Amino acid sequence: MVEQLIDTDKLKKIAEEVISREDVRLLIGYRKGTFGFRMRPAFVEEVSEVGELEFTPACVNNLATYLTNYERPPLPRGTTNDTRKVAVMVKGCDSRALLQQMVELAYKRDDVIILGIPCNGVIDPAKVDKRFPEAKGPGDVKREGDNFTFSADGKTETVPAAEVIADKCTRCRYPTPLVYDELLAPEVERFADDTYEDIAGLEKRGSDEKWAYWEEKFSRCVRCYGCRNVCPMCYCDECVLDRLSPQWMRRSVDISENTAYHISRAYHLAGRCIQCGECQRVCPMDIPIMEMNRKFYKDVAEFYEYEPGTDAEEKPLLSIFSVDDKEDFIL
Amino acid sequence: MNGRPRIGVYICHCGVNIAHTVDVQEVTDFAAGLPDVAVARNYSYMCSDPGQALITEDIKELGLNRVVVASCSPRMHELTFRKALAGAGLNPYYLEMANIREQCSWVHEDRSIATSKAKKLVASAISKSRMLEALEVKEVDVEPAALIIGAGISGIQTALDIADAGFKVYLVEKSPTVGGHMAQLDKTFPTLDCSACILTPKMVDVGNHPNIELYTYSQVEEISGYVGNFDVKVRRKSRYVDMAKCTGCGDCAEACRMAGRISNEFDEGMGMRGAIYLPFPQAVPAKYTIDKEKCLFLSKGKCGESPKCAEACQPGAVNFDIEDEIIEFKVGTIVVASGFDVFDATLKPEYGYGVYDNVVTALEFERLVSASGPTGGKITMLERGKKKKKKKEGEEEVPPRMPESITFIQCVGSRDKSVGNEYCSRVCCMYTAKQAHLAKDKIPGVDVSVFYMDVRAFGKGFEEFYDRVRREGVNYIRGNPSEIFKRGDKLVVKAEDTLTATPLEHETDMVVLAVGLTPRSDRREIIDMLKLSQSPDLFYLEAHPKLRPVDTATDGIYLAGCCQAPKDIPDAVAQAKGAASAAMIPMASGKVKVEAQTSIVNEAACRGCGFCVEICPFSAIELVEVNQMGWMREVARVNEALCKGCGACAAGCLSGAIQQRSFKDTQILPQIIVLGVNE
Repeated sequence: MVEQLIDTDKLKKIAEEVISREDVRLLIGYRKGTFGFRMRPAFVEEVSEVGELEFTPACVNNLATYLTNYERPPLPRGTTNDTRKVAVMVKGCDSRALLQQMVELAYKRDDVIILGIPCNGVIDPAKVDKRFPEAKGPGDVKREGDNFTFSADGKTETVPAAEVIADKCTRCRYPTPLVYDELLAPEVERFADDTYEDIAGLEKRGSDEKWAYWEEKFSRCVRCYGCRNVCPMCYCDECVLDRLSPQWMRRSVDISENTAYHISRAYHLAGRCIQCGECQRVCPMDIPIMEMNRKFYKDVAEFYEYEPGTDAEEKPLLSIFSVDDKEDFIL
Repeated sequence: MNGRPRIGVYICHCGVNIAHTVDVQEVTDFAAGLPDVAVARNYSYMCSDPGQALITEDIKELGLNRVVVASCSPRMHELTFRKALAGAGLNPYYLEMANIREQCSWVHEDRSIATSKAKKLVASAISKSRMLEALEVKEVDVEPAALIIGAGISGIQTALDIADAGFKVYLVEKSPTVGGHMAQLDKTFPTLDCSACILTPKMVDVGNHPNIELYTYSQVEEISGYVGNFDVKVRRKSRYVDMAKCTGCGDCAEACRMAGRISNEFDEGMGMRGAIYLPFPQAVPAKYTIDKEKCLFLSKGKCGESPKCAEACQPGAVNFDIEDEIIEFKVGTIVVASGFDVFDATLKPEYGYGVYDNVVTALEFERLVSASGPTGGKITMLERGKKKKKKKEGEEEVPPRMPESITFIQCVGSRDKSVGNEYCSRVCCMYTAKQAHLAKDKIPGVDVSVFYMDVRAFGKGFEEFYDRVRREGVNYIRGNPSEIFKRGDKLVVKAEDTLTATPLEHETDMVVLAVGLTPRSDRREIIDMLKLSQSPDLFYLEAHPKLRPVDTATDGIYLAGCCQAPKDIPDAVAQAKGAASAAMIPMASGKVKVEAQTSIVNEAACRGCGFCVEICPFSAIELVEVNQMGWMREVARVNEALCKGCGACAAGCLSGAIQQRSFKDTQILPQIIVLGVNE
């Protein structure tokens, strides 16, 4: 029977211990949002802030993003940045972002304290919003067996998990974090497999059909760059697509530049995307961004038997070469 | 930028190579009308003296500051035109080439389409040329020493030539002696010189040469650096024999409890040696080596009461405490002469090698014929894997009989797609002829047949020799045998005589398989160390098949002998002398120019992911810690002396932080834009 996994008291106790340590400067976790059933990131620097921490099936955000995407304003002369550790709460899927970030030398294993959350699935906020269009909240979500229980505004309702669970959770192969210092609950055994059914249709299309399909999707893009900004793997200080010299992509929002943006983004994630699905989640225009990422992911796995974000000791896919590499896709 | 671009455009006819398919006048007129183009001309051979003079005079008289040459591939003549620019006082990197031959006239038939494409290529090059930057060519000093890997005939010859010219040579050989495969041969084709007689003096010379540091039983472990300044680490494996004390008397070998019980590599496993051994009497250095795996004391920890070899050794040279030694030195150039393996005949199971005692490889036959071989030069029927019966009191030893017929099979493991070797091994036809001759010579009345596909007798004196051997009564049968099996005492070769289309079964006593030459099984060690490339046949790849046959793609590293492709002795020696001479050029000049089109890192944009560090095939990039306004970060940094300008790092960099000079995004993008715009 699938149950609520994380004991909030235990979480708070561990968080308190961690943030009290002298060599820790920040703990990134989850706290209640301000509206509906949303949860939002919590940046805990003091023991006094620990009380707001919580983990529920509404904690969809991949917090790994905050380990790499932060401002670096100039520091006063003679001083250097605070190099104390950062603690972060990660689900199984999110933990792979940490591994891939370490593969890419974004930080060292010692620089982070990883609080692992074995997870049996989170909700899809879009589905929940549709189900509860009137909910003001802040509400609460609990897992009870095969159902999620939603309570807000004095009302409680039980919904079968299958109706509101995030798509990625239905094919999750890594429910327990692959890397952690402390596991906040007992391990969860793998309960699903990935058969790539969701992209089978895309793969079958001819190239003209694909163009037509993506043209329609890309034409909707408003280039808010949410997909890039939320991605734990997109953390160049200066995105190559923002550059003015040379200007690979103009600022204008039109099908030509939108296409250039989306294709570049997808290519830059080939062999790096760890399938957390954050890009698609944050897209306000419902562009199925993950379809591109998943096609790349599948090809990389099939051609090179390589799965990014599963081993911190692995070399980045695009920097390794073997004479046995499959190359029959080269014309 | 040296002021507003003033571009000169030069379109080459390349005789008719380009002009036949491309309307060069139309391209010239088109180019002349493009912005910033000061002059556009066409000429029959731009690379010729008068062609180059057009460019140099225009630079001087019209004040050109960019030159675009539309002709062949830059691999062909980029250097030529760069020199022309430099000669006229313009930085050579203000040259841009448009390839309108290989990528245009040679691949198109329609003149109007080819002309329009040529125009685009020229416009694209002009567009890039505006963004070109002057680059500085730096020079580095060259260490006057060379490393030679492998001491077969190729390595020996290379070492001797370089050492005789007065440079220091480090000659590193994996096995306990120099000499390589040539030392195993009996006679050499087509002159029938005794192999040992012509090789041993050279072996002695490398052992004694004042300029040669010889490291046998040693392996190169690590090479870093670049042309002129390679740092080399060599592991000298312990022989457990003090080289300074060993006199090579051989008392130890006689005393060894394992004496005569271990098969000898030098005799292709047909002769026997002890655990302490000299590979063959003429070995250089003439010092004994203890085989660590076979020595009872070293492998089992116990050799009777005490090791017999140590007892027997008068000078006290045997010392079980000697450890491997790591030697480090610096060289300016490296010659790889690591040789070949012979084809493993068990990969052709239809020939029964390893099943039938008297199916032998050609190299085994070579040892059988050799006076220094296990039978003292007598060709006898073999009984393998059988222990010799102890002689009973008074019993006469029956000498093994000689074969009455010998059959040679050519192209075993060569020209054979089924084993993955499409190439011809180049030596088998002639060594088979030689061995057939030797068989006739040594066994009166022996019946000798050769099964062949084609006989390739292409070298000096080869055809004459082949003719002589046939006149001696060697029976050449054109056909590739399908099977060898045993019938009674005889081996039966099943084949088809393809000249008469007759299936036949040929009975014989002994079959000699003319095994080909294959790339060494341990070739990856050197590939990984030196980043060498392989050709499709898996031999090491030369820089250019015709014009740079001893160079590799890496400056300062050269190839000699069979590691590059199968060769006979004269070819191997010729290539060795070529490699020696090539390796001496940088050493003699004392300085080498390093690549100017190197990569540079924009540290502010670098995210320190290390992709480039992993990608760089020359280990030219490292991560260094920098302080960026108080933030301590790791960023990539390029060692420009090591960078070869391949651009792999730039292609792999996600943030575009690493860029290759002359191929920066800002330079390539204008080039691409022109190509993308439709007329």
